[in-house]
Amino acid sequence: MKKFNLMFLAAASMATLAACSSGDEEASGGSGSEGSADVDEITAWAWDPAFNIAALENAKEAYNGDGDYEVNVIENAQDDIIQKLNTGLSSGTTNGMPNIVLIEDYRAQSFLQAYPDAFHPLTDVINSDDFADYKIATTSYDGEQYGLPFDSGVAALYVRTDYLEEAGYSVEDVTDITWQEYIEIGKDVKEATGKNMLTLDPNDLAQVRMMIQTNGSWYVEEDGSTPNIAGNETLEAGFETYKEMMDADIAKIVSDWSQFVGAFNSGDVASVPTGNWITPSVKQAADQSGNWAVVPMPRLDMEGAVNASNLGGSSWYVLNVDGKEQAADFLLNTFGSNPDLYQTLVEDIGALGTYSPAAEGDAYAVEDEFFGGQQLITDLSTWTDEIPAVNYGLHTYAIEDILVTGMQDYLNGAELDTVLESVQGQAEAQLK
Amino acid sequence: MKLKKKTFRILRNNSLFIKMFLIMVISIVAVSLLITFSSIRMSSDLFMDTFSISNTRALEQIETEFEDYSFAIVAATNEVQNNGTIKRVLTQTNATTLETYSSYHDISEQIERIYRTVESYDANMIVLGNNELLYNVNYSNWPVSWETLRNHPISQYTINRPNRLLYQYLPSTSFTEEPMIVATKTLMERSTGEIYGVLYFPIREAQLKQFYEGYTSEENEVMLVDADGKIVSGNQEEMIGQDAPELMALAKEVDDEGLEYKDVKVFGTDYMLMAQYLPTYNMYLVNLVDKDAVLANLINTREILLISLGIVLIAVFIVFIISRRMTNSISRLVKQISTMAKHDFNVPVAETGGYEAKKIANAFNSMLNELQEYVDLAIQAQQKQRSAELMALQHQINPHFIYNTLASIKFMIQQGKKEQATDMIHALIALLQNALSNVEQTITVEQEIADLKNYVLINQSRYGDGIKVNFFISPDCLDCQLPKLILQPFIENAFFHAFNEKKLGFVQILVFQKGENLLCEIVDNGDGMEIKGDYTKEDIKEKRHLFSGIGIRNVHERIQMLYGEQYGVDISSVKGEGTKIKVELPLQKVSNSSEANEIPRT
Repeated sequence: MKKFNLMFLAAASMATLAACSSGDEEASGGSGSEGSADVDEITAWAWDPAFNIAALENAKEAYNGDGDYEVNVIENAQDDIIQKLNTGLSSGTTNGMPNIVLIEDYRAQSFLQAYPDAFHPLTDVINSDDFADYKIATTSYDGEQYGLPFDSGVAALYVRTDYLEEAGYSVEDVTDITWQEYIEIGKDVKEATGKNMLTLDPNDLAQVRMMIQTNGSWYVEEDGSTPNIAGNETLEAGFETYKEMMDADIAKIVSDWSQFVGAFNSGDVASVPTGNWITPSVKQAADQSGNWAVVPMPRLDMEGAVNASNLGGSSWYVLNVDGKEQAADFLLNTFGSNPDLYQTLVEDIGALGTYSPAAEGDAYAVEDEFFGGQQLITDLSTWTDEIPAVNYGLHTYAIEDILVTGMQDYLNGAELDTVLESVQGQAEAQLK
Repeated sequence: MKLKKKTFRILRNNSLFIKMFLIMVISIVAVSLLITFSSIRMSSDLFMDTFSISNTRALEQIETEFEDYSFAIVAATNEVQNNGTIKRVLTQTNATTLETYSSYHDISEQIERIYRTVESYDANMIVLGNNELLYNVNYSNWPVSWETLRNHPISQYTINRPNRLLYQYLPSTSFTEEPMIVATKTLMERSTGEIYGVLYFPIREAQLKQFYEGYTSEENEVMLVDADGKIVSGNQEEMIGQDAPELMALAKEVDDEGLEYKDVKVFGTDYMLMAQYLPTYNMYLVNLVDKDAVLANLINTREILLISLGIVLIAVFIVFIISRRMTNSISRLVKQISTMAKHDFNVPVAETGGYEAKKIANAFNSMLNELQEYVDLAIQAQQKQRSAELMALQHQINPHFIYNTLASIKFMIQQGKKEQATDMIHALIALLQNALSNVEQTITVEQEIADLKNYVLINQSRYGDGIKVNFFISPDCLDCQLPKLILQPFIENAFFHAFNEKKLGFVQILVFQKGENLLCEIVDNGDGMEIKGDYTKEDIKEKRHLFSGIGIRNVHERIQMLYGEQYGVDISSVKGEGTKIKVELPLQKVSNSSEANEIPRT
């Protein structure tokens, strides 16, 4: 276009007029103003519009600090966030990085350890005592608090009271039990109702993860990187319990989420031991209202094991880029110190936070008719505080991929010790 | 009326300028318009040609992208079809929990491996078994349950066409948030023809769009139209899912006839349509280019027009100034020349303006000067002629006068009045002497009065002294100059015409200075007369001149010829009371004897 104009001008031999057409080039350019630490817009990344994105929007409204900046909420698929963070942080560029990012707890340590300087510590910003202990363990590194805990992944056992009753059990009978007791009840339930007790997905060892956390153990050692498989008694107990469930034939095998949800929505299973975030899915089957109860997670039959565990959950992190002060200020004045926000989160999007002072709010005490008038949020909130803290470390998913195969071998008759040692060997070879 | 006249005059005066200026303006505008429009048209044509070529390339690129994707799908499909584990798991029934557990693990392992082929396209992969098994690699991409999917029309459609890889469009509904294009293939045991499952590769339209989005813009649209004429993908969101069979027909036509492009009108807009058939998809890739919009973006018509306008304005301005300067000087010249008659051709025109105008004015002025000279010569010749006439008249002393005077003298001598006769002869001699000398000479008042006295003496001697003549001469006037015999005709007039009824009276002659003028008055108290008409042109009573050929009329004429129009004779008369004649002359004294007798020329 420019070229054409110049041609035309030349043709018209009006060189003097050329100035008016070439003046607009300077308008663009000169965009980078990365030197300034004060920014008037900060960016936050999360992945679920119905859940954490909505929570951010709520937080924007609830913000009660006196900072003057815009918060730009951007939705990215979780895998994209992981990929972009990895790409960006490993190349050392802060260009295009958000100020606030939500990271799943299982993955948090891998980022904190790999890029400790890339995150802005919040140790002096938030009061760690206000949050559930187990969350602090996963969101801190090297003595510094990096994450602001967001949703609780507190696990619970969702049970069908009508099926239990049919088999001669009450809610009390499944409260604070061990997995062995659970299996026994499951057998009776299957005998009485023909329904399986739970679903199992051969490619997802969430059950095992929840089991071992009841005893404060994990796939890795305290350091977060050394695989802790072979000789891990808790894991052994978990595997054994898992096999017992398979042997007892009380599990319905599912291959994906739709089958998992479909199983309890259609009444195929008598219980769902999983994270509290399943509540909305359970309540989808409105015709089952009143037939459900939520009880603490069964524990492993071991010394020190508690009836509390966790599955999933995520936390907010502030990246060490321009605008980190504003980002920290935003988090402090929303998720970090605003109990009212947590009431809104519970009421509007069913998100249960891990901010202890929020538990005293009215929204937490609401009785849920679907669960027979149970004060579900209060209960979950209480159990949250009891979750044993573990360091999820760097390699949760990597090790689990190997464990999935190990479980196959074990279920097919291999010796547990051999299996675990083999997994340990593979993990060490792969991760070191 | 007046205004109209004025306007007309202005127009007429500027007609040269208006004509020239209008022609120039019209030419400049015409040339500018022609150049502007022809260059816009030429560049548009050129651009559209190159644009269609580059868009055809782009379409080929896009086609390659689609083929790559299709290839990945085909590869994955073949792997799934040939995969024993998947077949085993999908066909197994009545398995134990443990077997199921293993199967699910195994199939997951296989599918995850195969999935990597299409993973980079962000496509999902779903395997549906007839035995209620569903394996959905990316559940969040399409959260669908086994029952729903099994009974979905796309599954039915696929199962009815077991040997084909089909690409089906799935509009956005409650369970697919976004429109998707699903590649489907029936999984069939070849030996028995038994269908054991269906394989799905759903890809979100947004993902598919990335194959071509980089080549598009608002006015350069790309869309994918399936064989039923439904737009399954397009860079314009609102078009997706619409039925456009006419578009499909056009695309088919363009592709079948191998046209480079075709100008069409669809959706109420004129487009340049390019199309490419994607055989594996059984869909048409259609590229619509909104010509006008593209050109509007490419060629800033407004800017070009503005530049043209600027050039035209500047040129018109310059033309205005220059032609104004040129025609102005000529118009001024014309105006000056046309009013020349008012100024007796003696005011030269101003030599201003351009070279040509100056030259013309110069030539005109030289002509004028020459003309003036000739006019002067003509006037001089006329004057000479007139003065010669007057001289001739003056020299014509009436012979009767001399005859009568001599007769009177004879009677006096007979009567013995010797002395009286001698005086009379003296007077006659002096009178004749003065009268017959050169007519152009002036004489002093003193001499003139002496002549008049002689004349009076002769007349009184002849006719008696009933008419008294008194001379009142201011002494300071005695040496003043005046033309010869200028007063004589008036005294003659008084003697012979003023006293026809009254027999007695007097004639008074006064000569005095008044300001710069010499004033002579001849007053009588005779009969008086009625003055009719212009006495300067014709004598009131033209009588025979008794002394010389010079009459009263001639006196006036002579004075004016000698001294100018402000001088002359003034006659006032009242019937029964007398006549008063005033002769006004310039005051000329003898200062230099050498020039004394020269009459100044005017």
